Amino acid sequence: MLKAASSLGVIFFPAFDWAISPTHPEREERLLYTQDQFREEGLFDVEGISEHRPLFATDQDIMRAHFCFPSVDAICTESHRISAGGAIQAARLVLEGETRRAFALVRPPGHHAMKVVHGNRGFCNINIEAVMVEWIRAHYGAKRIAIVDTDCHHGDGTQDVYWHDPDVLFISLHQDGRTLYPGSGFPYENGGPRALGKTINIPLPPRTSDEGYLYALENVVLPILADFKPDLIINSAGQDNHYSDPITNMQFSAQGYARLNELLKPDIAVLEGGYSIKGALPYVNLGICLAMAGCDYSGVREPDFNAAALREEPETMEYIKQSCGPLLDGYFHPARGDFEKQGEYFVRERKIYYDTDGILEKQREELKDCEHCRGLRLIKTSSSQILPCLGVELPIDCCPACEREGYEAFNRKGDEFLVAQMLDQKNKQFAYRPKG
Amino acid sequence: MRIGIDIGGTHTDGVLIAGTRLVAAAKAPTNHDNLLESISAVLQAILTDQDPARVQTLNLSTTLTTNAIVTGRIDPVGMLVVGGPGIAAKHYRIGEHFHLIYGSLDHLGTETSALDEQDLEEAINACCEQGVKCFGVASKFSPRNPAHEDRIREELGDRADFVSLGHLISGQLNFGRRIHTVYYNSAVWRTFRAFAGALAASLQGFDLQAEVNILKADGGAVPLTRAMDAPVQSIFSGPAASVMGILATCTADADLLMLDIGGTTSDIALFAGGEPLLEREGIAIEGRPTLVRAIRVESIGIGGDSLIHLDGAEVKTGPQRLGPCMATGGSAPSLMDALNVLGLADFGQTERSREGLEALAAQHHLEARTLAQAAVDAALNAIAAKIETLVRMVNSKPVYTIHEILEDREITPKKLIVIGGPAAVFKELLAARLGMEVIVPPLHGVANAIGAALARATSHLALTANTSRGQLSAPMLGIFRAIPRGFSLQDAIDEARRLLKADLEQAGVTIAAEEIQITQADAFNMVDGSYTSGKNIRVVAQVRPAVVARLELDAAAVPVRFAGQS
Repeated sequence: MLKAASSLGVIFFPAFDWAISPTHPEREERLLYTQDQFREEGLFDVEGISEHRPLFATDQDIMRAHFCFPSVDAICTESHRISAGGAIQAARLVLEGETRRAFALVRPPGHHAMKVVHGNRGFCNINIEAVMVEWIRAHYGAKRIAIVDTDCHHGDGTQDVYWHDPDVLFISLHQDGRTLYPGSGFPYENGGPRALGKTINIPLPPRTSDEGYLYALENVVLPILADFKPDLIINSAGQDNHYSDPITNMQFSAQGYARLNELLKPDIAVLEGGYSIKGALPYVNLGICLAMAGCDYSGVREPDFNAAALREEPETMEYIKQSCGPLLDGYFHPARGDFEKQGEYFVRERKIYYDTDGILEKQREELKDCEHCRGLRLIKTSSSQILPCLGVELPIDCCPACEREGYEAFNRKGDEFLVAQMLDQKNKQFAYRPKG
Repeated sequence: MRIGIDIGGTHTDGVLIAGTRLVAAAKAPTNHDNLLESISAVLQAILTDQDPARVQTLNLSTTLTTNAIVTGRIDPVGMLVVGGPGIAAKHYRIGEHFHLIYGSLDHLGTETSALDEQDLEEAINACCEQGVKCFGVASKFSPRNPAHEDRIREELGDRADFVSLGHLISGQLNFGRRIHTVYYNSAVWRTFRAFAGALAASLQGFDLQAEVNILKADGGAVPLTRAMDAPVQSIFSGPAASVMGILATCTADADLLMLDIGGTTSDIALFAGGEPLLEREGIAIEGRPTLVRAIRVESIGIGGDSLIHLDGAEVKTGPQRLGPCMATGGSAPSLMDALNVLGLADFGQTERSREGLEALAAQHHLEARTLAQAAVDAALNAIAAKIETLVRMVNSKPVYTIHEILEDREITPKKLIVIGGPAAVFKELLAARLGMEVIVPPLHGVANAIGAALARATSHLALTANTSRGQLSAPMLGIFRAIPRGFSLQDAIDEARRLLKADLEQAGVTIAAEEIQITQADAFNMVDGSYTSGKNIRVVAQVRPAVVARLELDAAAVPVRFAGQS
């Protein structure tokens, strides 16, 4: 009988009664065959691998991570709260020491959900990793956390949530944004003025296979992690780099995914995308679980796997090797971006499109260039669906001046904002402005 | 009238029941080398002055298969296993004749590599050369497609006396458990067959014409003739008989707990809304998980004979047992002795209990009563902790739908039913420790036999349908056939009910339609590209464990006869 070298808790929640629409990739059937494979393999009979049910994310849990407009309920259905609750359960298992590692195999996903949420982007409503990370910090104090996003799509949502946070290192490996949704994730996107180099983007050319992907992991990601020395490593584990995925163009395999997790050694993994539900997910998920548990995964193989046919072209491999040096250097010597400044505020004005819900958001972010703390952040946002709303975020080390200014903005009567939300990391206060 | 016989580790109990009335009860020592002798002894006692021809049913719960496995009196089994990609089949190696045959199926049942005929022939020859006549056959994903298992059965032909095929044992997925299950099933087959033959002959001697059933680990009765195909199901039926005994003697309509206190160990079971909970997938045999359906019973190393010992300054009770308690001639003080010293029990030679406790206490500079109290507290704490863990685990069992997360009712037992020898002694102690109502039902001494007597048939069936491929399968019945594209979830539910009912009728069991529960009914839209290609339907139907009647409470008036003591 097989035995786990490091214990693993799996929160398997396939949400068999939830879909975006009946034929949408994010539908009831998505984890059905993964469940069949797990059951047939007897994964939860392996000593040291256990199955757990998700917790349920509350309004407070979500408001620690997001500005939801006009309200949390308008953005989140029960499915999103349970999916985020699955990630929270994974964190709880690990931080309470019940299991050495945990994998939240839950849906719907979350890594395209940004700090401000008006609706669904890229199948995501709330960022389940971010809700989890904030839950960890709220319950276990300040932690240095590394999120490594291995989904094929750029984790633009997670990048946005932690853009200004120097305590959270965000690394995304993904298919080059010039060839795939959401079209971002270039190396020059390297963090806000107060968190330079704490966002790392590693775009990979289409048709990258196991060798190229793992080369980037070993030559960029692992050295950066060794320097950053996080308390926790989180794998934002999409499975759509797989060669059979219907909506991407990569050539990664189940063996590659297992090796990735063996090398990365994440404390927590959270499922993101991956829509080859018959040909990839059953094998990739099995490979990830076995690798995380320190079990032999050498027998995990897709029925149609052909290593020779999937291997990347020499030019692709050469391109990846060439790009790794500058990418690593970008962490140690981050180039300072072209930050616009008005008075004592850094200002960003953006338009964000929510593809799933067809919403266009207009956003103005102001970050105070404060000498005493990370700076008060004000986000003014409106969309094709909603009047202007205000988000006020006080950082964990907020100084008295920023705190006063933030609360003044939040409590100002008769301003132009339909809704205002306070995200006070310092005093752990998360609230909407009372009506009237 | 019905007869129930429970062959336990120490005693064999028998009862005769007419309708809801207990007519006779008897106990005899269990002779593990000759179970028929023990059966005959209790039959003799309970049939005194009775007309055997009026007995319609005889249900038997036996340790036969359990003991055969524990003592190693089993047949060698030729294991023919087809693995394929994933967790390697070698990790499930069991027995001395374990052979891997190359070939594989995927999760949809598609053959991804053909069965290697040469591997197969070599494996069978190797088994035959070593005189192996019983075989276990299991392929990964065989409930999705039995082709490889069927082919192996065909190739074995008459070279095998008995073959267990994985897909016929259970329709549930779990390759490792399937391997273990076919192994144990084939390993105990010959022992079971010999016993069944001798039993039939023995019953004729009593002029019994009754239909004979064997109690299964899930608390259901299965006709002896049918038990021959799957003798492994009769394993661990003792705890199941206890649970059925609760159903037969108590009002079980709420969440409640059962504690069966024995000499070495105690068993704990949980009833949700009065229904005993089953293991999710199946019971483990010798630490090997199987697909044998079973009532979920947690065992704890606390019993009347549990040894009292000190670990540093901490007083511990169990899990070791060094023979009986001192009050009945043992050599070291046990839990029962502590109860004697505290005046909570008056069992055997209480003076010896006192001497034993005093001697141990003196060694550690303690008062005997202090030591006794600490030992009883340790036992109660261990029981309370086990109960708490069981309830927490059941309440945190995984679920797969949003509906279940939101609607699942938490199980909160408020009542504990205690059976077993020292049950009455523990009643008040447990009530105080657990803060629950504690009940000791009348006639708890033969509750297991009563449970066996009144147990009805159980059954289950897993059915899957894939309308995109136009296939329906009910693996346990060997049914794999075509269906039309329009086959619906309701069609599948109706079919599962019909098949389950027909299968039970074939075994001679009639069951009302409403007794069949549908425990899973899901239909998944299957999408290829962006078009719906069909539905993937999964239905599980079951007849849950239940009793045919509840005993009248004045049953306590019937004396238990002690039979066959030499």
